[in-house]
Amino acid sequence: MAPNGKTIAVLDEGVGAYRAPDPDGMRRFVRDHKDRRLVDKRMTEQDAVSRFVDDGAYVSYDTNVWRRGPSSLMREVIRQRKRDLWLAAKFSAHDATLLTAGGCISKIDVGWMEVGRVITEAMNAGRLKMYEWTNGALAYRHLAGALGVPFLPLRYVGGTDVFRNSGAKLIEDPYTGQAVCLVPAVNPDVALIHVNQCDMYGNARIFGPGLAPVETAMASKRVILSTEEIIDSEEIRKHPGATTLPYYLVDAVVHAPFGCYPGTVPGLYRADLQHLMEFGVAQVQGKMDEYLEKWVFSVASHTEMLEKRVGLEKLNVLRAEETHTEGYYT
Amino acid sequence: MTAALTFTTNEAAIVYTSRLMEEDRLYFVAIGGPPLLAILLAKQLRTPKIAYVVEDGTIAPEMPVPTPPFMVGAGLASSRAVAWTDMNTVDFHAGLGYLDYGVLAAVQVDEYGNFNSTFLGDDFDRPARRFGGPGGATEIASLCWRTILMTRLERRKFVKKLDFMSSPGFLDGSLGARERAGMPAETGPYRVVTERAVFGFDDETRRMKLLAVAPWSSIDEVLGEMEFAPLVAADVAPLDPPTEEELAMLRANIDPTGRTISGDWITLEDAGGTLRRAAAEPATTNA
Repeated sequence: MAPNGKTIAVLDEGVGAYRAPDPDGMRRFVRDHKDRRLVDKRMTEQDAVSRFVDDGAYVSYDTNVWRRGPSSLMREVIRQRKRDLWLAAKFSAHDATLLTAGGCISKIDVGWMEVGRVITEAMNAGRLKMYEWTNGALAYRHLAGALGVPFLPLRYVGGTDVFRNSGAKLIEDPYTGQAVCLVPAVNPDVALIHVNQCDMYGNARIFGPGLAPVETAMASKRVILSTEEIIDSEEIRKHPGATTLPYYLVDAVVHAPFGCYPGTVPGLYRADLQHLMEFGVAQVQGKMDEYLEKWVFSVASHTEMLEKRVGLEKLNVLRAEETHTEGYYT
Repeated sequence: MTAALTFTTNEAAIVYTSRLMEEDRLYFVAIGGPPLLAILLAKQLRTPKIAYVVEDGTIAPEMPVPTPPFMVGAGLASSRAVAWTDMNTVDFHAGLGYLDYGVLAAVQVDEYGNFNSTFLGDDFDRPARRFGGPGGATEIASLCWRTILMTRLERRKFVKKLDFMSSPGFLDGSLGARERAGMPAETGPYRVVTERAVFGFDDETRRMKLLAVAPWSSIDEVLGEMEFAPLVAADVAPLDPPTEEELAMLRANIDPTGRTISGDWITLEDAGGTLRRAAAEPATTNA
């Protein structure tokens, strides 16, 4: 009840679970745990994932395993057998399937994801709980998290079964008197973001269309960057307009050339369609364990996977055949 | 125009959708699949000045043809855009009213144009068949002025009750239902396009209305493939079959891998001036 005795009517609300927004908790976390100094944040993927991805964490990422996504970091999450993660699948590809096959996730906030038998079987076995949102609503919840506000109004989701299965609310807008939907902010425990370039402090550049890399990094308590290239900090200061993320948002910098493999980083290397088909076939045939053994568990690192499982010859082909570079590095 | 004699169900729906495109309009289109192909086909053959945005934030790209394989992932899909933004930005543009049409695919649709892209079955937590989820379809179908849906004409798709309403049409069909659920005024579904029929929506009741039927099919056949009974326009128009030019462009340039245009074959015979389906048709090209 407001001091003047007026209330804002909640007309309807969904039943989906969500973490209660806590903007002050986020601010305190930033005050107490985020380094404002320029410090060298380079570390191995093993260290980054073991330090910043805890069991039970809410994990967000940008974009997906097909295109400029943090594929190498996801494989490390699987390799370290992280458990009970809650995944934000805003425009996910088969990332959610990989992490489900690896036994890493128990909840998904879904916008869109590639789905096959792995996810359907996990849901039917009660191992995986799905909360229905939309791509846009999830990106928008990250925006709310990035703004440091507890919720934002939006003009969709209402009236649907998505609304019913989500944590959205429908209220009477006190300004227009019309119905408007609210969605809660999300402040992920950790974000995994693959970038084109960054310096050792985490000043990062992303080229090409994004999904919500800035909102995702700002909203998240911890940010792990994997990067195709580590560049000199002087280069960053020469072209400040090219910086997508400033250093103080970032906790870890992992040098990961071909970090999106088997996906593409546009302008650098194309996707390995043969690998994507191998993945698809493994899922259809129920051989995800063998796939994960080959590509994740039997190698100690991303570098070893590239050397032993992909090979320099294939990597060179993927680079050579990404002939369209306009707008990225030119 | 030459009547093509053999085409797939998906090719027909893509061609009919491409013919609905209006020059100089701005489209919000699903990032892959038949809706994107319909836009690309329209830009090549009919309406070169339409522009589209996709939900990764790419604005007005000019994808070269032949299109690259694995289009959703390919950098070429965003080439020659006027801007590379992000998901929130293009959704804001739609929220402001800049996006005239949304073009989307649906798993199931009901008589008010509400649709499902989430799951089939009776238990959300234990789906008989789970799909990718709403993706960007809910915001696109809510915020664009008009929405065009694409699907197959089958009883299991045109249902009385959706297994799950991922995205809104006219909701329960009552006046102002969308506004009461928080959506912008004067928006909603506009056309539903299938391989043999095109539907619109009645202004008064907001119920689906049959507008056009392929000459090789019939109103009765169309109604027989629907669980609910749509309204039928007083003057149901014929749907001209895909032309050789449209099919050649689709097959050679828009989907050279054949991944999206594959479907059930339809073969037509010219029987003394009227087109009818051939008695024997080859098997389905995919499941």
